[in-house]
Amino acid sequence: MTAIRPRAAWRRVDVGCGAACAILALLPPVLELSAYAHNLMTLTFLMIAGALAWNWMGGFVGQVSFGHAAMFGVGGFVAGRLMLSLHLPAPICWLGGAIVAGIFALGAHPMLRLRGPYFSIATIGIGEASRLVFTYWDRFTGGASGLSLPLDGDLKYQLYWWALAFAALVAASSVVIRRSSLGLKLLAIKADADAAADVGISATFYQDLIFVLSGAVVGLSGGLYASYFSYIEPGDMFGFDRSISFVLMAVIGGVGTSLGPILGAVVFVLVRTYLLASYPQLYLGLYGLLLIVIILFEPLGLTGLARRVLRRIRPAPGGAPP
Amino acid sequence: MTRLSTRGLTKRFGGLCAVDGVALELGEREILGVIGPNGAGKTTLFSLIAGSLRPTSGDIFLDGERVTGLPAHRCVRAGIVRTHQIVRPFGNLTVLENVVVAAMHARGGATGHARDRAAEVLAFVDLTGRDGQYPGTLTLAGRKRLELARALATGPRVILLDEVVAGTSPVEAQAFAALIRRIRDERGISVIMTEHVMPAVMTLSDRVIVLDRGKSIALGTPQEVVANPRVITAYLGTAADEAAAP
Repeated sequence: MTAIRPRAAWRRVDVGCGAACAILALLPPVLELSAYAHNLMTLTFLMIAGALAWNWMGGFVGQVSFGHAAMFGVGGFVAGRLMLSLHLPAPICWLGGAIVAGIFALGAHPMLRLRGPYFSIATIGIGEASRLVFTYWDRFTGGASGLSLPLDGDLKYQLYWWALAFAALVAASSVVIRRSSLGLKLLAIKADADAAADVGISATFYQDLIFVLSGAVVGLSGGLYASYFSYIEPGDMFGFDRSISFVLMAVIGGVGTSLGPILGAVVFVLVRTYLLASYPQLYLGLYGLLLIVIILFEPLGLTGLARRVLRRIRPAPGGAPP
Repeated sequence: MTRLSTRGLTKRFGGLCAVDGVALELGEREILGVIGPNGAGKTTLFSLIAGSLRPTSGDIFLDGERVTGLPAHRCVRAGIVRTHQIVRPFGNLTVLENVVVAAMHARGGATGHARDRAAEVLAFVDLTGRDGQYPGTLTLAGRKRLELARALATGPRVILLDEVVAGTSPVEAQAFAALIRRIRDERGISVIMTEHVMPAVMTLSDRVIVLDRGKSIALGTPQEVVANPRVITAYLGTAADEAAAP
């Protein structure tokens, strides 16, 4: 209903994404991926899901969060705890983690009184407070030494497909949300929450709704991550680095675009892996630099860059949205 | 038949009483003008009625039902909608999308009809053919029309117009005056408008209420109001005032 792009262009995107998923799903048995590649790709899928979900909040409804690690951590630890203490099947544990993380995200509700950067600063507070609480909550998280989850080689191998399906589902949801009337309302709230209320949109309701959805998806991603690496500790799960990584992936890929964060997550995971291996002391600084360059020259990140290149090749007849 | 009424409506900001015990009645298909010097409390009164602000005390009734203190989005669903003096279009949505998003919550209209309703309203305010444009590409008058269209798309019973005519050219001002009349006559919506452009309020309004320092000091037909000595004092001061001033 929103004529952001012509329908045919959307259909091409749908077909392209479907084909990409099919190819990716066939990779492990066909190419016999090395453990390293398997690892890297699964991690990428999980980060894609997380970045897309962050973008629902930061890009669609305009609430930039620097505390998404909190939901990632809650999802991971609740799932881990359910596995260790209740020995439930993994998918149920992941789902439990996602639900708790979604509810946890509602903790941002009182901060809705804050707007723009003030909201973002408050999310840093929530993120760091969660990190400390969970670090000192020994009995639940194992404290600073973390939790070791039961090792399960088969599950680990299958998690590639779980993560891929999950990322694909989140990507599809992003597109559906963006094209639906819900997406239109979210964009209106992002532009001006008061003006949105003045045309009958309950800004807080939709903001809360997106907090819960975004939190649940990031929590689910945390649960899958916990299962895959079978060891989690609060410093990593709740770290400020992790919160920043969600922001970076979305910004690199294109904040507010429906599928840009996928590109962002791919680039982020690859660059991060390379930098951590080669220049561990530089990597945060390089990210800072990257962020500044993107915000200065191409606020829509790689998506914006791609659109610019496409327009150069084939000038669009309808004109592009700002 | 009274469409909207307020009783003892008061809003205090700390020590400042921005709106002080205002009582007004708005009939069906009536245009009520709200005038007053700068800082008289006109916009605050609008914010109270539209739910953007909660009153400190007093009550607001819409068709006999109490709507006091409802948040803005619920006021819209009840049938009270406002426009802003400084237009606030959603800059990231096209003209059509701006109106569609408002039409989604229209009273008695399903979401599926939002697009049709939006197109109808855009035609009503004479903004057809601009569907795919972004609000930033419209003139000020165009954006004011969009602001009107967005408000009308919610299907209101009462519309509050904050300085719609101000800042437009004389020709556009005439067009807006005609449009406001059509809002009342063709759509049966009651209108409360504030305006600094006196000829516009005085010719359009069926009745006028005058605010000064938050209080309602006069109410009547435009002719009655301009002849009221208290109104003249509020706007121009008096000889005694001038003598007392340093």
